[in-house]
Amino acid sequence: MNKIIEVANLTKKYKGKTAVDALSFSVFEGEILGLLGPNGSGKSTTINCILSLLSIDEGKITIFGQEMKPSAYEIKKEIGVVFQDVAVFDELTVIDNIRYFCGLYIKDKKVREVYIEEAIQLVGLEEFKKYYPKQLSGGLLRRLNIACGISHKPKLIFFDEPTVAVDPQSRNNILDGMKTLNKNGATIIYTTHYMEEVEFLCHRVIILDKGKIIESGTIDELKSLSNIEEKISVEVNNLKKSIISDIAKWEQVESVDYENGILIVTYQKGKNNLAGLIHYFKENRIEYNKIFSERPTLNDVFLELTGKGLRD
Amino acid sequence: MTVFKTFLKVLNKNKFIVILYSVILLFFGVSNMQTQEENTNFISSKPDVLLVVSDELEGITKHFVDYMEKHTNRKEIEESVRDDALFYRDVNYIIFINDHFREDFLSGEQPNIEVKSTGDYQASLAELLVNNYLKVASVYQKMGFTEEEIMQNIDKTLEKQVVMEVTSPLDTDQLEKVAFYYNFLSYSMLAGCVYIICLMLVSFQNEKIRKRTIISSMSDRKYNRILLLSNGLFALLLWLCYVVLSFILLGEGMFSRQGFLMLINSFLFTICCLTLAFLLGTLIRSKNTINGIVNVVALGSSFLCGAFVPMEWLPNFVLKIAHLLPSYWYIKTNELLKTMEIINIESLKPIFYPMGILCFFSVFFVILTNYISSKRRNIG
Amino acid sequence: MFHQFIYSLKTLCKNKMLLFWTFAFPIILGTFFSLAFSNIENSEKLDVFPIAIVNNDAFQNRKILQETFKNLGEEGNENQLFTITYVEKEEEAANLLEEGTIEGYLHLEEEAKVIVKKSGIHQTILKVATEEMLQMEMMVQVDIEKEIQENLKNGIALDVTQEYFEQIASNIGHQLQEKMGIKDISSSHLSYTMIEFYTLIAMTCLYGGILGMTSIHQNLPNKSEVGKRVSVSPISKGKLIFSSVLSSFLVQLFGLFLLFLYTIFVLKVDYGNKLFFIILLAFVGSLAGLSLGIFIATFLKANENVKTGVMIAMTMLGCFLSGMMGITMKYIVDTHLPIVNKINPASRITDGFYSLYYYDTLDRFYGNVFSLLFFALLLLLLSMYQLRRQTYDSI
Repeated sequence: MNKIIEVANLTKKYKGKTAVDALSFSVFEGEILGLLGPNGSGKSTTINCILSLLSIDEGKITIFGQEMKPSAYEIKKEIGVVFQDVAVFDELTVIDNIRYFCGLYIKDKKVREVYIEEAIQLVGLEEFKKYYPKQLSGGLLRRLNIACGISHKPKLIFFDEPTVAVDPQSRNNILDGMKTLNKNGATIIYTTHYMEEVEFLCHRVIILDKGKIIESGTIDELKSLSNIEEKISVEVNNLKKSIISDIAKWEQVESVDYENGILIVTYQKGKNNLAGLIHYFKENRIEYNKIFSERPTLNDVFLELTGKGLRD
Repeated sequence: MTVFKTFLKVLNKNKFIVILYSVILLFFGVSNMQTQEENTNFISSKPDVLLVVSDELEGITKHFVDYMEKHTNRKEIEESVRDDALFYRDVNYIIFINDHFREDFLSGEQPNIEVKSTGDYQASLAELLVNNYLKVASVYQKMGFTEEEIMQNIDKTLEKQVVMEVTSPLDTDQLEKVAFYYNFLSYSMLAGCVYIICLMLVSFQNEKIRKRTIISSMSDRKYNRILLLSNGLFALLLWLCYVVLSFILLGEGMFSRQGFLMLINSFLFTICCLTLAFLLGTLIRSKNTINGIVNVVALGSSFLCGAFVPMEWLPNFVLKIAHLLPSYWYIKTNELLKTMEIINIESLKPIFYPMGILCFFSVFFVILTNYISSKRRNIG
Repeated sequence: MFHQFIYSLKTLCKNKMLLFWTFAFPIILGTFFSLAFSNIENSEKLDVFPIAIVNNDAFQNRKILQETFKNLGEEGNENQLFTITYVEKEEEAANLLEEGTIEGYLHLEEEAKVIVKKSGIHQTILKVATEEMLQMEMMVQVDIEKEIQENLKNGIALDVTQEYFEQIASNIGHQLQEKMGIKDISSSHLSYTMIEFYTLIAMTCLYGGILGMTSIHQNLPNKSEVGKRVSVSPISKGKLIFSSVLSSFLVQLFGLFLLFLYTIFVLKVDYGNKLFFIILLAFVGSLAGLSLGIFIATFLKANENVKTGVMIAMTMLGCFLSGMMGITMKYIVDTHLPIVNKINPASRITDGFYSLYYYDTLDRFYGNVFSLLFFALLLLLLSMYQLRRQTYDSI
């Protein structure tokens, strides 16, 4: 696979604080890479450094095999960015905003108009072309923000938390859009602290905390890092304490929790765990309502790695 | 107390712009005083005259120059800025005496004198002096006197003076200055109050914060009252600055009864500014519009009501419009006080009327603000 | 480039605040000016004012005074100075003075007395006019004495009859009526309220800086979100900034053009007749305003509101020093602290228009134009140096 971006030893200090600390990673063609981390972990700073918006203290950034510089216009042509905050002109209509930003990349007017139409369709703003940003709801504004960033069909797209505080409908629209863009050949770098979105979308994940990479890999790889293999939840009433301590003593069991009538048992290794538990309940004549088994989520992995939740 | 504390915090956050504005306006007020000329007295009502003498300073020429020097303020101005000085009325009259002035005169020819004039009162006065001298001189010359005799006769003639008797005991010059300062204050006060209070209020009236305040348990009127008081404290501070400055700049003029009454008047005006600012602050939604509103309101009322241009110079129809503005009534009171000789209940009656109107404006603004803000309790 | 230029133009023209400052505000202020100043120069001219004379025996005996006052109080006479009320007793005159019906009155006893309420221009004129008459009396007296002396030398005793006295008086009166050789060579362009309108133009030029400020903000990633987006595009920063600055300059010039039209055709302001130079000055002045805006946008670390506030405050300060709130201010600063107005662009612009209006030569005008150009170029160069930086410590 081709390396699209190569970041080597990237360090960024700000006011004596190290925001990004000797970061090295690569992005491969055609993938969706998730940059995951709690607020203040250095995700946005990393992206701004890659884009040459911020000066860097150490390290080297290579995009499409060339060194990234503020004046590397050939590289910039192929890049699209969707910033965290909405970056549009209040004075221009939806379509004029997209037209302006697209115009910075695409000189040919006919091509540009086609691209603009496609971008509008992609984010589903067909009915709002003539609206001014002030007249749009939060979700629609975010979609406009995205359309402005991607209308020129870039090969490499950065999404910096595009779904923060967005209604579910717009959120699905945005995620589907990103998938479509990826399917059409764009490589995507995506920062977020929403675990579910990463699991749904990303091929590969880099977890950042305090400016450092804690782990990276595919979702499955990350999950396998965790000791937890399986998590079984049971709805059960009036469970005796002796039984809970009994289960905790089993060989593969990592932990047992019982709260509000729900028993959660996590296992290190997982084969026939569910069957074993059901069998045990039958033997002890314990009545239960629902029972289900699930794989651990990234959140569980994250908790284990950093000791804190992603949304903290 | 919470509201007040928050007010102080918001004020602190905006301190840069608040200080900048206040300092500039104070500076306006102070430096404007320096342009005030003392030209209302007989003694100082001597016109400013520049004499450019090319002839030898002898005989009748010297006599003429001496005469002009005695009866005007002779200015020394560099040649390069002469015309500027004339344009800006630093000198009212420039007299060029050519090199054959004396010769012409003694030979009985009419001497030619070139002048540059601003064409105003002072210039007319200077022209009167020149004309007078030349006429008297030429009359005596035609009678056939010698140069020496002519000069003696001129002296004898021109020393004929009338006795002036001034009935008013008022120190008009001092009070004129005090009124000038306090009239200008109407601009600074209005601009300062409206700008800064609107800036504060916009933070409090921000859509989201307003929603939150509306659903809180504090009553709308109480909330407005506390805000008004907090802003009032600020306005009071601004007013005190100006008052202290007026004492420093004007000195004894301020220790007169008229000066004291102008001070009271300015206090009433400050309250009026405060309430007006409060009304505008309630209406304004965005910080961007504040600057525009301030400049239009403050400069507009100042130009139309006589803060910059003396009231008696304004056209009548402008003054009619100005009746609708608080600044007019404020300045009117100052103008009345300026020439008021005796201060007692009877003589003060005419100033109670404009002062009352000023108070009426304040009450009106408060009521309007409360009305609008209660209307706004429903969003959208 | 053209694309950015057009869209910059679009955003500027849709921005209500910018439009207010560059288009509406100067026109509103200009209207205020013309309202406030429409009377000022007329009221500076001499006008006729009321006086009273106590018509007692002493006054009856002074033929020359009687005649001359009659002349100066005559309606329709081009030399008319007063409207005169003759009263019999001094109290009447005193009452009129107290009421404010008259500015002062003349009371003759052993000596001539002029009684006024306060001192002022009108009172001074009354004083001077009365003195002139007393002086004429003196001249008649001198002449008669001389005649008597000369006749005595020849051994003739001159009999001064009423007729003879009147002849001498009228002779001298005629001589006094003669125009003296005073030639007024002052410029006809002395209307100093024009300065107000010149400061207005200066203000508009400088307010244009707010436009320049916006166009910088639109393109810098550390100033606005849009700036970030633009910065990652493949257009060089130089081109981006140049095209938006150019468009803001055009909008500014258009605003100025409207103001000129309004002041010339509606408010009847006289800018002199050197059209080319007026345009040149407006152009250079706008450039100075633009560069000031760019400079502030580049160097001042504050949000856009504060910057706009600073820009407006600076402009108003500059205009104050050039005489907007009191015309003599500029002259005072020019004579006492010339350096202040040398670096104050508002004053340079005002002075440029003033020198076009008032002076016949162009030396001073060119001085103004060059110092404005220097001011603009200096600020632009400094800003460019700062703007050359491509990446930022923080955004």
